Amino acid sequence: MAESTWKEYRKNKKSKPAPLEGIRVLEVCTMLLGPIGPALLAQLGAEVIRCEFPPMGDVTRSLNPFGWFYRDQSPLLLHINQNKYWVGLDLHTPGGQKTFCELAAQCDIVENNFRPGVLEHWNIGYLKIREINPGVIFLSKNGYGQWGQYARENRPSNDGASQALSGYSYMSRFPGQTPLKMRAYIGDNYGGMCAEVAVLAALHYRDRTGKGQFIEFSQTENIMRPMSWIWPYQQITGETPEPSGNRDVSICPADTFRSRDGVFVALAASTPEEFLGLCTAMGQPELAEDPRFRDHLARLKEENAVEILRVISEWIRTRSADEIEALAERHGFCATHLYTAKDLVEDAHLEARDFRTEIDDPMYGRYRNYEFPVKMSETPPKTEWSVRPVGFDNEYVMKRFLGKSDVQIRELYDAGALGKWKDAQGRRPPPGWDGKAGLRQA
Amino acid sequence: MAGNKRGDWSEWSSWIRERDDPEIAHTRPEALDDLLVLDLSSRSFAGCHCSTFLAEHGAELIRIEPPGGDFIRTCTPYGIVYRGEGLNYLTEGRNKHHITLDLSRPEARDIFRKLACKADVIVETYPAGTMDGWGIGYEELKRENPGLIFASITAFGAFGPRSRSRMADYDNIAQAMSGFQYDTGQMLPEGKSYDECPWAVPTKSGPWIAWFMAGTFMAMGIMAALHWRVKTGKGQALDVATSEAYARIDDFVALWYEHTGRISERFGNLDIALWLYCFAPTKDGAVFLGGLRLEMWQAFADMVGKWDEWGASGWNSVAPFTKEEEQLQWSERVFAETCKYTSGELVEMSLEYSKHGRLAPITCVVAPILSPEECMKDANWIDRGIFVPVSDIIYGDVIAARAQYKMTGTPPRTRWVCQPVGHANESIYSRHLGLDASELGRLKKEGII
Repeated sequence: MAESTWKEYRKNKKSKPAPLEGIRVLEVCTMLLGPIGPALLAQLGAEVIRCEFPPMGDVTRSLNPFGWFYRDQSPLLLHINQNKYWVGLDLHTPGGQKTFCELAAQCDIVENNFRPGVLEHWNIGYLKIREINPGVIFLSKNGYGQWGQYARENRPSNDGASQALSGYSYMSRFPGQTPLKMRAYIGDNYGGMCAEVAVLAALHYRDRTGKGQFIEFSQTENIMRPMSWIWPYQQITGETPEPSGNRDVSICPADTFRSRDGVFVALAASTPEEFLGLCTAMGQPELAEDPRFRDHLARLKEENAVEILRVISEWIRTRSADEIEALAERHGFCATHLYTAKDLVEDAHLEARDFRTEIDDPMYGRYRNYEFPVKMSETPPKTEWSVRPVGFDNEYVMKRFLGKSDVQIRELYDAGALGKWKDAQGRRPPPGWDGKAGLRQA
Repeated sequence: MAGNKRGDWSEWSSWIRERDDPEIAHTRPEALDDLLVLDLSSRSFAGCHCSTFLAEHGAELIRIEPPGGDFIRTCTPYGIVYRGEGLNYLTEGRNKHHITLDLSRPEARDIFRKLACKADVIVETYPAGTMDGWGIGYEELKRENPGLIFASITAFGAFGPRSRSRMADYDNIAQAMSGFQYDTGQMLPEGKSYDECPWAVPTKSGPWIAWFMAGTFMAMGIMAALHWRVKTGKGQALDVATSEAYARIDDFVALWYEHTGRISERFGNLDIALWLYCFAPTKDGAVFLGGLRLEMWQAFADMVGKWDEWGASGWNSVAPFTKEEEQLQWSERVFAETCKYTSGELVEMSLEYSKHGRLAPITCVVAPILSPEECMKDANWIDRGIFVPVSDIIYGDVIAARAQYKMTGTPPRTRWVCQPVGHANESIYSRHLGLDASELGRLKKEGII
């Protein structure tokens, strides 16, 4: 039974191996789209070396909600950089470029998210790395890919641009209102994930054949993929699809309503059993037999959908959100209030599943964050440590991965190839750091 | 970063295009063509999307539905059906061999066990405990097939206090539970009520993003498990809860609440954590503006002729602009400028600035907000092959967004978009289990397949 598969998952998680143990990843990434992918691999057990330009490092270190930093660090940086080793490497210098190549020779996967041609300018492009490491899996992520008009024009991009250009925002809003930028960085984070699917498929092929390859990823192209029906709809009907607010036009009923106590409640009840359960809860079981609503395809038709959603909306206005949730569980349909940050933090279910997991970090202390959301019974993904200042792990990485001596490391510093943090917010260690916590001995 | 110099782009881009243009994908090997996968997704697009990744990489993908077809096939906008198929499933049945099997029948479960013995991966989305109740859960199947990777996607996951909830897995419910719907949407104008402004409410993403995230994370989990299996020969069970998958990409609001008590609320088309980062109105629509680095924000000010008036040369960090009050004030100034131009003019101004501006090659990101129709006609995407119709022997030429990345060694490919219910019954049952026509006829007559 499933109970025995998952018994004491949380307790045993840390003592079990991780699936990508032994895989090494080198990244020179920026913002969110770049770093999130290697972080996911690191949670799956890969060793990830993250390069940043010293002394300021990645601009993500500056990002914060309304001026709030967690112990002098960007909460966004914390979220997408678990379990990494941090190197401050100036790729504008010959020594930095040479060191990057030496590291790449030791790695299975190399990732970046710069515009096409930038890595070539730094003499660390795919063709160069492939010479050094023929089996390398090399991922380049960005807005528009490596070729085509936008790549030729060298257009800059980011998450919001991908939401705008794909039609994703156009479809995410109420009719007649301005297109809405999602608060979720979907182009970046969903993008970073999808690119790792490609990397892992390439890894399976390499496990079989020893061969590496180049992977080209455009975050704008990527975000078109989950827009599923929207593309054939245009082709088949010849019409532009229009947005529908919170109503799901492919499932009926599936929408968000407001309860008697002013709470927003999402509801769905599409199968015959669920729909009957909802109609029963509403005290109108006859609606489940109404020819307009009995069959799901008929119910989805515009006039029928509008009518049943109106009926539900009026009913919900007479009930509290708590009542509706209880009725949903009792009658077997779906309803939930919209979760706030507080609801997520206080949710006992998420805690029992260790999705809200605690990190006990020598530098940033104890705090909680979201775990990799796939539970794996034999090889649980896990979060082991937090972020580090720019260049914090330089010595460890140079010694352990490249076997460099103290003298050689000193030369790299002198040449400006290696560097550490500037004394600035998000770059330096957190306040009260004792000068030792978090340091690793190679 | 918007300001990095680039090397010889044209030489590199020609080299790579010759090797990863989707046009030549069919000439290349496939990454997962050594695998047999069973997809039992039940009314969940998350499971369907997860198995698509495997199918587009060449796994033999057997999609098992109840004899009447999976309910998800009826989940189609406005009830539109094209050649017998709902428009969502029409894009997600890709490369899958569709067979039927009524797993509520004991004989069907015996047939399933035989297939499961040969399978590398099973994807299923029944409510937690359902497969166990049928005697075909992971613990049973692994006795016969210890290398099996058994992947379950559900609303609440396989364990935890709510895992036995009666509530099914829906995209809109998962969006609601992820935390993202609550603080996405337009702000209620001052002095107005929700009844007056029914659009100024928490707003979900239009597309089924929660289902896609759950399916994508599970695809990652499956492939990581495959790597482990190559090393050790061991399979395992995997568990994803859809709302957790979506919540995982929430970068900061839980931490922010836990340490400050502040609950993230809607902030319209501005961004709680980023400046300059917003949708801005123009003469003929709206654009996205992105200037997260100080120099990019300065470039924007310069580009619209406000370098001196706004004192841009004196700015030394974007951090002060990120504060709530500052954002509200500065966005008004910015919007007053963007309204003077069309969206197209602003895009051109940004590209021009990257060549000749004071801070060139640094510039501000400007992107027009397009409709899907405009996107589908954009020459850049047509050239890159994402909208090339799939020539399907059953449904004809269908435009469904193609696989979302390009690869030189083992590119993903879409062979067909969908199949009718039970389309591959004969070929799959005869090939894998040696069932002949008379046996299949009996099973069909008895409602088992």
